[in-house]
Amino acid sequence: MTATPAPAPAAVPSLVVRARDVLACEWTKFASVRSTFWTLLVAVVTPPAISAFVAATITNQPASSPPVDPLLPGLLSLEYAVLSVAVLGVLAFSTEYGTGLIRTTFTAMPRRRVVLAAKAAVLGAVTLAAGEVIAFASFFIVQAVLSGHHQGVSLSRPGVPGAVLAEGVLLCVVAMLGLSLGAIIRHTAGGIAATIGLIILPGILAVLPPPWGARLGRYTLIDAAHQVTALHPATNQFSPALSLLVLLAWPALSLLAATLLITRRDA
Amino acid sequence: MIEVDRLVKRFGAVTAVDGLSFTVRPGHVTGFLGPNGAGKTTTMRVILGLDAPTSGTALIGQRRYDTLIRPLHQVGALLDATALHGGRTARAHVTSIAQSNGIGRSRVAEVLRLTGLEAVAGRRVSGFSLGMKQRLGLAVALLGDPPVLMFDEPAGGLDTEGIAWIRQLLKTLAADGRTVMVSSHLMSEMAQTADHLIVIGRGRLLADTPTAQLIESSTRRDVLVRSPRASELAGLLTARGATVTSEDDGALAVTGLDAPAIGDLAAEHGIAVHALVPRSASLEDAYLDLTGESVEYRAASR
Repeated sequence: MTATPAPAPAAVPSLVVRARDVLACEWTKFASVRSTFWTLLVAVVTPPAISAFVAATITNQPASSPPVDPLLPGLLSLEYAVLSVAVLGVLAFSTEYGTGLIRTTFTAMPRRRVVLAAKAAVLGAVTLAAGEVIAFASFFIVQAVLSGHHQGVSLSRPGVPGAVLAEGVLLCVVAMLGLSLGAIIRHTAGGIAATIGLIILPGILAVLPPPWGARLGRYTLIDAAHQVTALHPATNQFSPALSLLVLLAWPALSLLAATLLITRRDA
Repeated sequence: MIEVDRLVKRFGAVTAVDGLSFTVRPGHVTGFLGPNGAGKTTTMRVILGLDAPTSGTALIGQRRYDTLIRPLHQVGALLDATALHGGRTARAHVTSIAQSNGIGRSRVAEVLRLTGLEAVAGRRVSGFSLGMKQRLGLAVALLGDPPVLMFDEPAGGLDTEGIAWIRQLLKTLAADGRTVMVSSHLMSEMAQTADHLIVIGRGRLLADTPTAQLIESSTRRDVLVRSPRASELAGLLTARGATVTSEDDGALAVTGLDAPAIGDLAAEHGIAVHALVPRSASLEDAYLDLTGESVEYRAASR
């Protein structure tokens, strides 16, 4: 009897190898379109460039006005990068849905949550690195201006390194929010509008009569960011530690929603 | 092998695929035919795990697509050639997809060469013609050297030379023993490429048959006869058991006797014959018969 041995099944590559492959794929996609370069360039260049002016306006305040937190100019400058990073996040999914490329992507990688995770990892790593570079660059520029008026603080002062590091996280938070909403809404314009809306519109709570403005405002992304990055946090808001949780809850919840929805809908 | 079993896909109130069952076997080109809106693309999307079936199953090599690991080694597909990010170069596009399945750069270069895109690989795809995009889609489908290939209207946008090229490619792939499924709404295109046909209309199976047999089974096989003494000849033919109908221009359409028999009969009686043309229904006619019925059936069932 001549038994032909069945062909050996192709070796299943390890999870580590497969994860590396998917990350390589998403990295290539991320790095091979011009929008990535331009949005990141705007995000990285704008805040340090305007931070000196923001700091200068503070030094020109009349002496009678309340003292301004010396770390605030850095955050206000960084907020100018939020729009462009939000767009970068939304585009990661919305262009694939818009062009139909998502079907090729999901045919090559049928585990859609892995695709979402890989996109989040690539985008998260890049925006976190960019955010920290911007935060520290702006910090040194702002403090150079402020120290001329004896208002600056040094990086060695307790609380300062943590606040500056936390500031750098904001762009990553916004990018993750954009990525999730891009995956959920699947449309570039809609995704951008929703992301920017979620970041900016809650600011309207500030006009509520006290104490409701602060009581609700402390759950907003921007107020949480201000608490986390302040040298002298406000007393009518959450503690910086709790505010950091609020800040991280926004991308965490939006990514969770995207994770739940991405496998439930036809591509 | 692709196995679709009692597949149903509804989009709201619209039933795009309505209890479809068929098997696509390796070794030949299987044409997946139907008019626009018949459910071809939806069926292919369900097979590829892009759309979830309402009920029923679609398996590739007895597995659901979304359970495949590195699926490009098992299935290559081209659904929509224009589904590209225009800002990316052809090489970056193919490379990114190759990486996701652990396929190396040498294979990327190989498929680009195979599809004739080597010279333009560094160009952004927004500048590509539809034909070039089709070739790019084929390059991606061939990346993993898969035993199963699925193409949705692959000849659209290609010029004559491109169509001949893809026809040859499909036949070569099938001759290698691969399973090749090609959708089209044009019977004429399939007649020259496919060995086997699966015809659907309104989401239902209309025919699952070898291409040759579909032509064979067509009811419209007759012989056109022209003669100055047509009515006299018609009488003789009917006496021999043939069925004769008159065409508008006075010619006779004869079934039941073949052309030589008709010619001999005319000669025996000294009747001149000016034309004696065996007519077999084209595949196109057979297709129209099939899909026409599906439309009628639908209209009657309302």
